[in-house]
Amino acid sequence: MPDNAFEFDIRTTISDNKIKSLWQLMRGYKRVYLFAALSLGFAAAFRSGTYLILGRFVDELVADNEIGKFIPLIALSFFGLAALQGVFTYISGRLAAKTSEGITRRLRNFLFDHIQRLSFSYHDKTKTGELIQRTTSDVDAVRLFFADRAIGLGRVLLLFVVNLSVLLTLNARLALLSVLVVPFTVALSLIFFRKVSAAYEDYQDQEAILSNTLQENLTGVRVVKAFARQEYEIAKFDQENSGKFQKGRKFFTMHALFWPFSDILTGAQMLFGYFLGASMAISGEITIGTYLAYASMINWIIWPIRNLGRLIVQMSTGLVSYGRIQEVIKEQREPLSSGSYLPQSDQVEGSIEFKSVSFAYDQHPVVLKDISFVCRPGNMIALLGGPGSGKSTLVNLLPRFYDYTSGMISLDNVDLKKYPRDYLRSQIGVVEQEPFLFSRSIRENITYGVDYEVNDDDLFAASKAAAIHDVILNFSKGYETIVGEKGVTLSGGQKQRVAIARTLLKNPKILILDDATSSVDVETEALIHKALDKLMEGRTTFIIAHRIQSLMQADLILVLDDGRIIQQGVHSELINQPGKYQEIFNLQTHIDSALEKELSLLV
Amino acid sequence: MSEQHRFEEEEFSGVFTGKIALRILTRIKPYTLWVVGFVISIALVSFLDSYFTYLSKRIIDEGIGAGNISALRKILIQYGSMIGIQAANVFAFIYFAGVLGERVQYDLRKMMFDHLQRLSLSYYNKTPVGWLMSRVTSDSERVAQLVTWGFLDIVWGTLNIITATYFMITINWKLGLIVLAIIPVLIVVAAQFKKKIIVEFRQVRKINSKITGSYNENITGVRVTKAFSRESQNMAEFGELTEEMYQAGFRAAWLSALFLPVVMIISAFALGSVIWFGGLQAQIGGITIGGIQAFITYITFMIWPIQDLARVYAEMQRSIASAERIFSLLDTPPEIFDASTSLDALSLRGDIEFDQVCFYYDDDDEIVLNDFSFRVAHGETIALVGPTGGGKSTIVNLLCRFFEPREGRIFINDQDYTTLTLDSIQSKIGIVLQTPHLFSGTIEENIRYGELDASKEEIIKAAQLSGADDFISTLDKTYQEEVGEGGNLLSVGQKQLISLARAVLRKPDIFIMDEATSSVDTITESLIQQGMENLMAERTSFIIAHRLSTIRKADRILYIKDGAIVESGSHQELLKQKGYYYRLYTQQFRQDMALELGAPSLYSS
Repeated sequence: MPDNAFEFDIRTTISDNKIKSLWQLMRGYKRVYLFAALSLGFAAAFRSGTYLILGRFVDELVADNEIGKFIPLIALSFFGLAALQGVFTYISGRLAAKTSEGITRRLRNFLFDHIQRLSFSYHDKTKTGELIQRTTSDVDAVRLFFADRAIGLGRVLLLFVVNLSVLLTLNARLALLSVLVVPFTVALSLIFFRKVSAAYEDYQDQEAILSNTLQENLTGVRVVKAFARQEYEIAKFDQENSGKFQKGRKFFTMHALFWPFSDILTGAQMLFGYFLGASMAISGEITIGTYLAYASMINWIIWPIRNLGRLIVQMSTGLVSYGRIQEVIKEQREPLSSGSYLPQSDQVEGSIEFKSVSFAYDQHPVVLKDISFVCRPGNMIALLGGPGSGKSTLVNLLPRFYDYTSGMISLDNVDLKKYPRDYLRSQIGVVEQEPFLFSRSIRENITYGVDYEVNDDDLFAASKAAAIHDVILNFSKGYETIVGEKGVTLSGGQKQRVAIARTLLKNPKILILDDATSSVDVETEALIHKALDKLMEGRTTFIIAHRIQSLMQADLILVLDDGRIIQQGVHSELINQPGKYQEIFNLQTHIDSALEKELSLLV
Repeated sequence: MSEQHRFEEEEFSGVFTGKIALRILTRIKPYTLWVVGFVISIALVSFLDSYFTYLSKRIIDEGIGAGNISALRKILIQYGSMIGIQAANVFAFIYFAGVLGERVQYDLRKMMFDHLQRLSLSYYNKTPVGWLMSRVTSDSERVAQLVTWGFLDIVWGTLNIITATYFMITINWKLGLIVLAIIPVLIVVAAQFKKKIIVEFRQVRKINSKITGSYNENITGVRVTKAFSRESQNMAEFGELTEEMYQAGFRAAWLSALFLPVVMIISAFALGSVIWFGGLQAQIGGITIGGIQAFITYITFMIWPIQDLARVYAEMQRSIASAERIFSLLDTPPEIFDASTSLDALSLRGDIEFDQVCFYYDDDDEIVLNDFSFRVAHGETIALVGPTGGGKSTIVNLLCRFFEPREGRIFINDQDYTTLTLDSIQSKIGIVLQTPHLFSGTIEENIRYGELDASKEEIIKAAQLSGADDFISTLDKTYQEEVGEGGNLLSVGQKQLISLARAVLRKPDIFIMDEATSSVDTITESLIQQGMENLMAERTSFIIAHRLSTIRKADRILYIKDGAIVESGSHQELLKQKGYYYRLYTQQFRQDMALELGAPSLYSS
């Protein structure tokens, strides 16, 4: 790899001054990019050269000095200079592309890695759409900044400087009088493009509103039809559609006014220049060849200037985009591999102790309070409690998705915070209530958690144990079936079983299960439970219990309420203790008698 | 999978056929004057640009060369007034083309939207929303671009070549012909180049969408990534993708960067030739100095459109494909529509009968309802229960005439409902869906959707009846609170209450609730029931629900399984049968109770 794309740490380039920051970001490309700009200067110089030669040629022609034998030479040098101009233009484009693409890759790679290393808390509070925006359109704005805007600005300025310098050597008075209008053009173009970019934003906003209206109509088509509101919807859409038309008309009217106006301004300057130059040529102050060179070069000085405003405005939007990217880059990562303790063995034992552990999300009220319990290797711990009681938060502390704020959790008698996160996570398997699968093949999804090549036997064994093998084989592409939008949509129960197979292959020592089957039918539920039982064999398991069997088998039941453990013990103990557990358990009898009563009313 | 394929872009050729052209032309016919306007103004622009060059030549030859200051003045005055005219032309072509483009876009969007409102649900069921969105938004834009800027590019380019040729021939026909000889070379080179560049850019777009997809999964799946410590491997995989992107992006960029210089060198060759031959001629007095200068400019005039040719052509192809897609949408007939003989139903108060109805959604789909018959008396409340996929929602869909029976008939008031107008049926049905859909706007606007000219009091009354008023009054702006896009700012339960209020406000003859209050807490639900009791008593109602309290009160319960009614009767009758309903009821009873008391499910399979 020619580029240090993976190692480059963009955090070192962060600065409040965005230009400076972008300059730092160019590390390794600075010279390339400067040379790209320089090449534009050369190209401009060669272009001026062709005009000088042309002028010279004409003067010789007029003087009628045995021109005949020079003509091939002049024609050749004309061609040669144009070729050089072409070569340098190409070099500049190529180098600018190398820089912009290189920097973009650098940004993309860094952001990708950065995002997956940001903490859970960060992801909890950040919207997906926003991050997508940062990583796609904002990154592209930075790419354009380098590929087009900055280099374009350089081009306009160099054309101006080079051609003006040459003109100055030809005739200083003529040169200076020919650029009188330039400051006005620059100012006008700046003002115009600032205005027009606001109008354009307005226009784009309206487009967004329009497409939202459209999307709501399309996704709500049943409601529209059910209420026979087609006419109403048509009127609503038409209103936004007309709004878009109005804004578009305004936008184009602005353009239709600016360009002719600046045409007149620049044209008048041209005319003035022609008049001046021609008069000087007639009076003999300059040669006709000089006039010719002048008339050609002046075009390259005053017309491109009109684009200055556009480039500057676009550059500033590029800077705004980069500012937004910086916000993401500034976020603290979660260190994965740092830790003061790394066990000798590949696997932990799996004994866990909570000693008066408390936890609060930053700035928020305390979620877990004074949690203490002991779990021996291979134990099954069931957590019971209503929504918001803290069950999920408690299990999220184990893989250090969040770090507890006080007390201590120990794993195999070592403080959990001393383990590197990646080691810890390699020991813990999580099966969520609604598991997330990637839009890759089923094979890739199941082998997601292992970093070695998995042979078919192991893969099939895991899927069979998770009771999903037969389902997969029923797909026409079997294990190569792509999951998600671009392929097969799996049902909730199927997803869960794929996730179980995924965790089986990972073979963690500690297991966290959100044993929820509320959304699946009875048959699937049985399949999932069978798969789960298989998964739990020989592992320390934390299970968020949604069914009574899990509780009865558990080695320890934690009853949570409002972030506290209000009861703990085994089923046989708890059932005989007055308290919430007994209450809940007694519900069964309560419910049965209520049902009894209900049915007895039937006569 | 195969179903999705028909939405792939490749299906539409982009080949320019007379038929497509004709249809596009029909669309812009009302704006003929606008088109004429911008064609004339761009033609003038092109002509005047060439003429300016000709004047520059005359400055050199007739002014400087002849040493004639008064001739110079005259030419400059002419030049100056031309600048004024040119400014007007520039204004005209930007204004005409720009505004016309917006107008065409407006028209196309309106046409498509109107048509979409008439299309049947069956169409929506098999067409992804994203596909429709791109038709209405980006395809319309592309077609508008084609008929304005695209057309303008073609006219401008052609005229540039013609006027430049004309002036060159006028100045010196021999040299003019030499220059003309390079045009075919330029066209071939440009076409070859652009073909390559377009392929590269297509590749870049493809990889780019993969990158976006990767980011999306990286963000949404970040918890799984962390749980499985997959960071390094993900990074390595993504690195391959960005490497690919780097290569493709760089290649596309340098190919583009190479193109212009190549064109420049070819034209320099032409210029060199002009000097070579022109110089010799000048010796013998064939071409003037101003003429050489003019030739240089005219060559540039011809190069611009040629180097642009391939881009314009590629864009044209894409626009034609867009037009084809738009027309294919507009050509899709609605499956359900009113016949000219259809009558307005004055009221839906009356018996409803399904007579041997057979239904499947798509030709290769399984049959959902087979030989399905039942009759409901006016005012009855019917609860539909049974396993998912049994056909409950299909019954509701047929009743609302979102779909029509494939075989058999449905009668309302003993009248085949296909002889009635769609609008008159649907405007008398109130339906509440499990996944409630709200529109951006205020709560009041959303409820008002049920009855557009309802008074504020009626809206509040409807909200009270449906149990929505309680939570609405706790909001800062009460009924003026914004619900967000798709109702995002509200919980599912709150959305359900509002969509219930919306249906209540409608005062329909038939009331349909499809899991309408599934996400509403039990206390609120019992409140709703009280409120709705009167409402439902006078109307025929269909309820799909799993909450027993709702089902129990129905006049009749239909247990639907595999597209057939397997049990039918009142709550008590069905319980006594000890069949499907009995089992459902006892299971559900336990779950309901457990849920209510915050306990784990005590029953298990």
